[in-house]
Amino acid sequence: MPTAPNVDLLQGTLDLLVLRTLRTGPQHGWGIAQRIQQISEDVLRVNQGSLYPALHRLEHEGWIEAEWGSSDNNRRAKFYRLTRAGEKRLGEETASWERLSTAVARVLRMA
Amino acid sequence: MRALARARHFLRALISRGRVERELADELALHLELETEKRLRDGGPPEEARRRAAIAFGGVESVKDEVRESWGIRFLETLGQDLKYGARSLRRNPGFTGVVALTLGLGIGANTAVFSVVRGVLLRPLPYARGQEVVALHQPAPESGIEDIGFSVKDVADYAALTPSLEDVVEYHSMTFTLLGGPEPQRVRTGVVSAAFFDVLGVAPMLGRTFRKGEDAMGAEALLVLSHSYWQQRLGGDPNVVGRRFEMNDRVHTVVGVLPPLPGYPDENDVYMPASACPFRTQPRILEDRRQRGYQAFARVKAGVPLERARADVATVVERLKSEYPDAYPQGLAPTATLVSVREEMVRSARPTLLVLLGTVALVLLIACANVANLTLARLSDRGREMGVRAALGAGRVRLLRQLLTESTLLAALGGVLGLAIAFLTRGALVQFAARFTPRADEVRVDGAVLAFSLLATVLTGLLVGSLPGLPAFEKLARALAGDGRTTAGRSRQRVRSVLAVSQLALSFMLLIGAALMLKSFANLQKVDPGFRPDRVLTMRIDLNWSKYVNPERRVDRQRVLQVFEPLWERVRGVPGVVTAATGLTFPLNSAFSNNGSFMIEGIHQADQALPRADYHAASAHYFETLGVPILRGRAFDEHDRDGAEQVAIVSQGLARRYWAGDPVGQRISGDRGQTWARIVGIAGDVRQTALAAEPPDIIYYSFGQFPGYASTLFVRSSGDPVALADRITAEIRGLDPQAAVTNVQTLETIRHDALASPRLTAFLLGLFAFVALAISAAGLAGVLAYTVSQRTREIGIRMALGAQPGSVLRMLMGQGLASVVIGLLIGLVGALGLSQLVSGLLFGVAPTDPWCFAGSAIVLVAVALVASFLPARRATGIDPILALRTE
Repeated sequence: MPTAPNVDLLQGTLDLLVLRTLRTGPQHGWGIAQRIQQISEDVLRVNQGSLYPALHRLEHEGWIEAEWGSSDNNRRAKFYRLTRAGEKRLGEETASWERLSTAVARVLRMA
Repeated sequence: MRALARARHFLRALISRGRVERELADELALHLELETEKRLRDGGPPEEARRRAAIAFGGVESVKDEVRESWGIRFLETLGQDLKYGARSLRRNPGFTGVVALTLGLGIGANTAVFSVVRGVLLRPLPYARGQEVVALHQPAPESGIEDIGFSVKDVADYAALTPSLEDVVEYHSMTFTLLGGPEPQRVRTGVVSAAFFDVLGVAPMLGRTFRKGEDAMGAEALLVLSHSYWQQRLGGDPNVVGRRFEMNDRVHTVVGVLPPLPGYPDENDVYMPASACPFRTQPRILEDRRQRGYQAFARVKAGVPLERARADVATVVERLKSEYPDAYPQGLAPTATLVSVREEMVRSARPTLLVLLGTVALVLLIACANVANLTLARLSDRGREMGVRAALGAGRVRLLRQLLTESTLLAALGGVLGLAIAFLTRGALVQFAARFTPRADEVRVDGAVLAFSLLATVLTGLLVGSLPGLPAFEKLARALAGDGRTTAGRSRQRVRSVLAVSQLALSFMLLIGAALMLKSFANLQKVDPGFRPDRVLTMRIDLNWSKYVNPERRVDRQRVLQVFEPLWERVRGVPGVVTAATGLTFPLNSAFSNNGSFMIEGIHQADQALPRADYHAASAHYFETLGVPILRGRAFDEHDRDGAEQVAIVSQGLARRYWAGDPVGQRISGDRGQTWARIVGIAGDVRQTALAAEPPDIIYYSFGQFPGYASTLFVRSSGDPVALADRITAEIRGLDPQAAVTNVQTLETIRHDALASPRLTAFLLGLFAFVALAISAAGLAGVLAYTVSQRTREIGIRMALGAQPGSVLRMLMGQGLASVVIGLLIGLVGALGLSQLVSGLLFGVAPTDPWCFAGSAIVLVAVALVASFLPARRATGIDPILALRTE
């Protein structure tokens, strides 16, 4: 098993990633984790121990909604879906992340 | 929208808990399953794949725990755990729990009890409809030194007509009549009122009705409204009492209604009658003469009108009356007019005492809290390990603090329950106490507000007690976990404990000073010479049924009154054990009695000028001898001073000194502006006629033989126990007039004792609280020092091994105790100087900064503190250096 560089996700960053992942459509917890891992080419590994608390927290905040449905091979799974408020939140979070990363990048280049 | 989602989420987690838990389990199980499958797809043995997936996932339970945290119901569950755990830990330490619950119980109980009185008397709205609008009118004449000249019938009508801000103005006075028709003649205190009196007060009857408009008109039928207590106690709460007829003043009076329980205000009346039923109030001179100002006036301010405006209005009215009726105001009599809310009138004299008591018990509770915090700290050092283990097992800082708070709140709750019990048990005594200051005492009860107060006090106590030791506990914890447990760990906690001990001492010092001031004030009152000799004198009030003792002009028929009294004195003096007997107007130290009037001295005053005033009393032969009042000059009254002889008077020493440079004996004075004159035959010693704390009033005594009254007080000096004579003497009175009402049978000793009752109880309560506070603080100080000793055992052992003498160790430790005391004294001194002004209104003959009280309190505090620090310090000197060095 290839060892991937392990990156600790900052609190809040995970929220952003989860929200972004859900923009493509409803997904269950495992699916979200897989997707983040795939797209980041195994750089970002979502620790399950933080994924579920984060999902429940986002649900509690009203940014995502949960619904039980059937997964690929007909298993009952809890699907999360972005809400209107969640979409707005995603916009804000993305903007602020971009501001932050541009700033960090600039410092790294120029300082 | 989001808040709604959140609430739904929270409620779902709370209510359908089982389902939510199952769903969470399913969700996580699916994740694990999918993860395992994925690893299976990657190849390798299934067992290994499952194992790896499980490892990658981490602890399922801890994930669940964290998820639950996000549901927002966590705190409820942990609260349950905290409570269970706290209760267990308290049960394991019954000694600690008992001491703390008792300390807090005393503190909370005292506060609840005093608050219940404050609530009933000062805070609760009056039991009148819109009671805040009800006011009492006064016409003070400050230049003549008169608090209230009273109102005439015409005055009341004028105020009603001329004051736009008042809805109505009613008249009131109280008289005693004899009521016939019950099992025995009863002396009833009767409120004589305008028909609208109860409407102005805002009182609805409990049975029947109150008076209606026009029922106070001249010639109207005589009616009665009964007070609740009279109806209950004398008429057995007869439900058919409305319509019952009684005979009073030779007229039939019909009961029309019964009042609900009300404060005894303006007086503790038994019954009420309309003004037209009063045989005196209906005399033409009372109705017409504006100078007959024998009545009180009450009014209701129109809704929404501020008191200030109404006050300004009545001040205008009196100016108008003065200019319109100059004859009604003798030269120099320049009354003003004002009004005061009746609520203020009722509670004015109770407020200072109650507030001082409330402050005192609050301080006691603070001391109790500080002490319990101290105890908790001591206990925490034993629990350091436990806390450390819990922290190591993953308990967060906040969680630990919450555990402490839960425990202390549990303790406070125990104290609160105990406190409520104390409040219930002491309620009766407190109501009696309050009744000496205010007619509202009967309204004291443990109601919702009192329970709420008690709950609040309990919760605050729990928070205070729990957070005080909690703060240093965590510093210590942090260090202990960092492996730096021993040497400096105790330092900050020790500092907190010292601060707690010092503040207890400071607060105790303040309470001690308060108690000392009250005690000294009480001692001063007790030393006051009342002006009479109270030992072995029986007094009783005799009210003849006046209607049998008046002539057709409604004036007292002196002969007929004396026909009762002269044989009565004769017979009473013949009773074995009686030394002497006499009659006066009323008993001394009677604050309710007032018979003030003006007088003129022949050759000095003119009838049309403002005249000096004095209290008028009547005294029979042997009066001064019976009461033990000395005759300083001239002579006392004797049997010859009766109708037909020259009118005579005796003046009090103070009055003689104030108005005569030389000897007044032989001079003449007049109480009716020169119409009749009385010759002064003697000077009597000053008597505290109204109260021990009040300067003796100026008194003019008339001879009872010349001015007998049907309401009077009989005095009997005996050689043995005066109370034993009471029945015999009552029988003699009944033998002479079966309709005479005999009441207030008591000794002068009792009267004096009662006059001291409220200052005695106030001093006792403050002393008790100060004692409790001192005991708690001493225990606190001893605890701190004992803790120091246990912390410094090794150090002390080393010192002693190096040759320190026990004496120097003792001095060192006592020095620490003494330092706390000195700081406590200084802080307490500042506080006491600031607060002592608040008690000044309760003090008699002692300044609020009395140096003796301050010094005495300081000595007591230092002495107690020395003992408290000596005990643990002596234990330190017994430390065996060898053993001490081994302790680790």
